[in-house]
Amino acid sequence: MIAFVTRRLLLGLVTVWLISMLSFAIIQLPPGDFVDAYIAQLSASGSTVSAEEAAAMRQLYGLGQPIYVQYGKWIFRVVQGDFGESMEWRRPVTEVIGDRIWLTLLLSFSALIITWGLALPIGIYSAVKQYSFGDYAFTLFGFIGIAVPNFLLALIVMYFSFTLLDANVGGLFSADYLLAGWSLGKVWDLMKHLPLPAVILALGGTAQLIRIMRANLLDELRKPYVVTARAKGVAERKVILKYPVRAALNPFASNIAYLFPYLVSGSIIVSIVLGLPTVGPLLVKALIAKDMFLAGTIVLLLGVMTVIGTFISDLVLMWVEPRLRHQMD
Amino acid sequence: MTTRRRFIGTAAAAFAAAATTEALAQAVGGTGKFGESGLVGKLEGPSQSSALPAKFGEAPALAELVKAGKLPPVAQRIPAEPMVLQPLESVGKYGGTWRRAFIGPSDGENGNRIMASDKLLFWDNTGSKIVPCVAKGYELSADGRTTTIHLRKGMKWSDGAPFTADDFVFWFEDIYGNKDIVPAPIADMIAGGKAGKIVKVDATTVQFVFENPYYLFPDMLAGDTLIGGGQSAAASFGKSYGAYMPAHYLKQFLPKYSTEAEVNAKAKAAGFDTWARAIKVKMDWELNPDLPTLGPWKTTRPINTPTWVMERNPYYYAVDTAGNQLPYMDSVVMTLAENIEVANLRAMAGEYDLQERHIDLAKLPVIMENRERGKYDVHLDLAYNGADTTLHVNMDHRADPEVGKWLATADFRRALSLGIDREQMNETFWLGLATPGSTAPAEVMPESPGPEWRKKWSTLDVALANKMLDALGLTKKDSEGYRLRTDNGKRLVIELLAIKAFMDWPKHAEMIAQHWRKIGIYGDVKEAERGLAFQRRDAGDHHILIWTNGGTELLYLYPSWALPVDVSNGVYGMEHAKWYASAGAQGTKPKDPNMLKALELFAAAAGQKEEQRNKTAQEIWKIMVDQQFHIGTCGQSPALMGVRLASRRLGNIPGRACIAQHCRTPGSSHPETWFFKT
Repeated sequence: MIAFVTRRLLLGLVTVWLISMLSFAIIQLPPGDFVDAYIAQLSASGSTVSAEEAAAMRQLYGLGQPIYVQYGKWIFRVVQGDFGESMEWRRPVTEVIGDRIWLTLLLSFSALIITWGLALPIGIYSAVKQYSFGDYAFTLFGFIGIAVPNFLLALIVMYFSFTLLDANVGGLFSADYLLAGWSLGKVWDLMKHLPLPAVILALGGTAQLIRIMRANLLDELRKPYVVTARAKGVAERKVILKYPVRAALNPFASNIAYLFPYLVSGSIIVSIVLGLPTVGPLLVKALIAKDMFLAGTIVLLLGVMTVIGTFISDLVLMWVEPRLRHQMD
Repeated sequence: MTTRRRFIGTAAAAFAAAATTEALAQAVGGTGKFGESGLVGKLEGPSQSSALPAKFGEAPALAELVKAGKLPPVAQRIPAEPMVLQPLESVGKYGGTWRRAFIGPSDGENGNRIMASDKLLFWDNTGSKIVPCVAKGYELSADGRTTTIHLRKGMKWSDGAPFTADDFVFWFEDIYGNKDIVPAPIADMIAGGKAGKIVKVDATTVQFVFENPYYLFPDMLAGDTLIGGGQSAAASFGKSYGAYMPAHYLKQFLPKYSTEAEVNAKAKAAGFDTWARAIKVKMDWELNPDLPTLGPWKTTRPINTPTWVMERNPYYYAVDTAGNQLPYMDSVVMTLAENIEVANLRAMAGEYDLQERHIDLAKLPVIMENRERGKYDVHLDLAYNGADTTLHVNMDHRADPEVGKWLATADFRRALSLGIDREQMNETFWLGLATPGSTAPAEVMPESPGPEWRKKWSTLDVALANKMLDALGLTKKDSEGYRLRTDNGKRLVIELLAIKAFMDWPKHAEMIAQHWRKIGIYGDVKEAERGLAFQRRDAGDHHILIWTNGGTELLYLYPSWALPVDVSNGVYGMEHAKWYASAGAQGTKPKDPNMLKALELFAAAAGQKEEQRNKTAQEIWKIMVDQQFHIGTCGQSPALMGVRLASRRLGNIPGRACIAQHCRTPGSSHPETWFFKT
């Protein structure tokens, strides 16, 4: 057991190291560098940078050096907890991400709670009352949820909230509270803005989980041990919740691996469409602007989160699934 | 669709029919069909007055600070010779916050342009005349070698320290002259190959002295250049130019005034690698709230946070005709829009008080529809440049010699131009609001070669184009009707490199490729991301690149998209640009005698006086249009920063503003004179 955990941890570290190299390499793949991207941006907004200035900027940011030197410098500082300075934001990367990470986490957690809070009971209901009216209704809803990309949903919701409700478009705060410090009023303002994006983010995942839960539970419900339990006169509620549901929960546990990176990035496309100040759009912008340190840090963070998520989901699976535990012994 | 149709029915159709030069002239007068539509108003704005007000007023918040003894009285804060601005409509009221959008830390120009009155010289609200600004006046010596700048007596930085000639000497010697900060001199400070210098005459008099005649220099000071751009634009995002800097504040970050070890230690403590890195941030008004500035507002919350906030500068040097210190509005708050769509949507919801930047012309019908709800007026400001969509031809293409040969042939370029249906492009992409024609600037500009040059080779004439191509020997065609190469008999393919930037140029290119079918030319649209496209451009790989020619309406101040003179732009052949910039020492000499003639005229102009210089520019334009170095489509439009949404609560808002590189849109409309009526 301990050997298994240690092995996992070590493998995780190696994976993280590989991810760090890979993410740095990926960021370097497109032609041009940050200065090129910056000059292009400037010329679009009506300003110019001379060749001398460009050269000076490259020197300032150390862009002229070979890639392995740039990687070496970067990873050496990362190990010390210094993620470098974002070239586009001209602030330490940790501050730039720090600005957004809490709101991102809040939004992702809210979406997650909605997803699980809806998907679990509905999935159980659909399986137990298979082919009932409710099951059909939820199935229909589920397929729509899966089929409609959530950015489209975001656009539709945004359109109606703009035309019908006159609501503040995009963002998590209204203009009055954007600048204010934290207060009860600001928290309330956030609470008013939060449900819409959280629900949009949750819907796609909810539909998917309902289908998974329903299918798994249906498999379990037909197994002989359920029949035996019923035959022995165990209460119906207990029969379903105590055994088959627990077995059907495995996909939820393995899903944790993918939830972790999602928690820190939020849904990128939905965030962009709704103009949410989360980490997702930050990553996209950093990649477009070739802001290496910022993009590298976020990609690394996502990679590390995936590794941690996988590790935790392994542990949870072992906990909920005795068969796995026994295989190990 | 109905809304767009309806809109076009009432307003835009009229524009399309009347989108001629005469209509433009009428539009300026506000009497034509443009004027009736209410969207293109009269070109107007605040003007400078020479009458000094008898007494001075100030914002209530500042008056309280004065009462509390925290600030000197207003008469002591403003210069003895302030800039007196006659507001457009009336003397305004103090107060209010200007809400606005910005799209990230690279959108610094958004704020720089609002602070444009920190330029030494500027343009009037029509964009056609140089006027005093930070400098109360200037003189150009008869030999053109010395430009003398007179500063305003008693003018102060935003922290109350005096602004004097020493700030210029400091910039020139300690910043511009410091190789660690500015590694190479800038062309702006060089005349006839010799570097110029800054000389202090007395506390309020500064001279820019050159060894060769530099009659263009006052224009350079007024233009959006590295030397004349002002502190906000020329000393931000890594740039260290702008002719002056707050010496009293910046000295502490320079090794010269302490020791290298000390400034480095200070920089390290603040989280920078070296002092040189630190001072670049310290001198940047977008980032450093402590930096003394001259503009109407100063940063209190920097650009690299989700809200960029600026508050009034209590020492701002301009007053209105009643003596009230400007600006009227207390603060400017820019909120980060994650993307341009969100910025447009919020603008239509009335969440911004005045927004012209990032507003998309293609959304005009929806913008019009939401006017009442968002409580804003829509103004269309027409630009002066010839073509928002310009086909810049690489006349030094070497990778494919056959294509290179044709691109270097004037008749081939003319035929390509004659094969474009500009009216259709105008209807589709500019809602009929632009003026079709060549790349030559609007006739109102002093450098315009005349109305006939707007049309030359720049109207649809398929028959003539086909005749010219046939005459060139491109007679063989394939089964689909496309002309064949003369070297290997394959189809002649002309690549159109297009970037999706502030207009959807790949779509424009697709339409042009369709038009060219009729003249048997196969146009192959290559869409590329900006950085990549510009890299291909500078490597000379492109055939034709599509980009705007904005800025070329003042050719000498922004020639990069008109002639191969700028080594940071290889669109007409990088080797030619190098050859020009190095005065023949590097690169290759263009073979085309017409190009040589144009470059020769351009080189001579810096040493010519204004009238002659304008004549020279007209000559250059005639060559450029006749030779079709660049093919114009539609221009003089509001596509770039010209769709202006102004809250109905605002006063002193011009009906039409100058939108141009040199006008620093909206700078020349002096936002410090705008105010909230209610």
